[in-house]
Amino acid sequence: MNAPHIHLLLNHFPTVGFSIGLGLFLVALFAKSGELKRASFVIFFMTAALTITTYVSGSDAQEAMKDSPGVSASLIAAHESAALVAFAFMQATGFFSWLGLWIFRRVSRVPNWNVAVVLILAVVTFGLMARAANIGGEILHPEIQSNRTNPAVQAEVEAEQPLAKSWGGFVENHSWVWPTAETLHFIGLSMLFGVVLTVDLRMLGIGKNLLSFAALYQLLPLGMLGFTVNLATGMVFFVATPQQYTGFLFFLKMMLVVVGAVNVLYFMLLEEPWTVGEGHDASITTKLVAASAIIIWIAVLFCGHMLPFYGNSF
Amino acid sequence: MDFLLKIQQSGFCQWIRESESIFSYSGILLLHTIGMGFVVGINACIDLRILGFAPALRLKGMEKFLPVLWLGFWVNAITGAMLLAIDIVNKLANADFYVKMAFIALAIINLRMLKSHVFGDPSIDKIPASGKAKILAVTSLMFWIGAITSGRLLAYVGPGSGAK
Repeated sequence: MNAPHIHLLLNHFPTVGFSIGLGLFLVALFAKSGELKRASFVIFFMTAALTITTYVSGSDAQEAMKDSPGVSASLIAAHESAALVAFAFMQATGFFSWLGLWIFRRVSRVPNWNVAVVLILAVVTFGLMARAANIGGEILHPEIQSNRTNPAVQAEVEAEQPLAKSWGGFVENHSWVWPTAETLHFIGLSMLFGVVLTVDLRMLGIGKNLLSFAALYQLLPLGMLGFTVNLATGMVFFVATPQQYTGFLFFLKMMLVVVGAVNVLYFMLLEEPWTVGEGHDASITTKLVAASAIIIWIAVLFCGHMLPFYGNSF
Repeated sequence: MDFLLKIQQSGFCQWIRESESIFSYSGILLLHTIGMGFVVGINACIDLRILGFAPALRLKGMEKFLPVLWLGFWVNAITGAMLLAIDIVNKLANADFYVKMAFIALAIINLRMLKSHVFGDPSIDKIPASGKAKILAVTSLMFWIGAITSGRLLAYVGPGSGAK
């Protein structure tokens, strides 16, 4: 199991996995089923989370492959740029799917505007992912290579400054970008920690008599806002200098984010937390999941913080 | 100046700077960052609740999280003192350091004012938050954002930061 292998394995989530979600979503729309919509939103959300690991693993794959014979650096750059655009739309799809799931728990249906937004974003994401995957395939699948007669690929390959690389140039030439992104990253993590601590410490018993889960549930979008800020600023760092984020420690951080995503779904989908009213004790399972959330997000912070000491950064 | 140099060159401070152990510089800074998450996070949730987010949440209940906030605060006071000690000559010559300390002092004073004005108010959760409470919530957020920003910039500005 090496870096290119891992990247190829993870590629199946934003392509095959996402397609299954989209197919299920279309069935849900046709059958007018709220439950199926919910299920497809779960698939979109988890696929978006997993796609973060897919995207970052591309950097490790590139490091391993760049000097191999027959591997074109310009095709890799074209693939990276196409993947970046597709990634952005994938995360937007995941965000609005999460929002739909959050709203569903409160009003037992997904609002029409939410359905429309997710549908449009999902279809666009599907197209962009297919394009990114296609260019990626051309890197080292000689049997499918069109010898650059595909105009879209040709345009990307000939681009003076592929999108991802030009972003790196911008960050390098404007010294305010990095410290600003770092500061926002800290603000975002504080926001996320605040919501994680408030919700999960209550599940563990603090403030039991005065706080119900239903009331705390209203805080979740603020936590997601904190996470979104960190995803965006994280992308600023990663796209500017991907070579700093190769290796195990950063990848572990991204995998822990996926575990965090599963964790939040527990609180959004299951009945048990919803029954925790004022004065009520949460079940042992809920307490374990709540405690693990605190550990997961501290572990994410640990991995990020330790990058300059144990990773490949700086 | 001699006294400050003595602190900075003490065996303990040398160990923090030079040891590869996770309990030295990297671990101390890690605890400082986690503490920041605890303090700013909990305070921000209280502030945003006062400003109207998550309106079903009972403010009186959120008071129960203040001990966790103070735990984070003291972890940061102690780790902060260590981080200051290992580079004290440069830090005390760095204007940004004083800016950060000022923001933290303001934020803590602000928090105490919030505690007495909001949590000490017998009509809490019975009537909407007062204008004064909302102003205190906004300034609280501003002071913490100021502390985070000036703290992050310590790596970029002033003597010993690596700035050219």
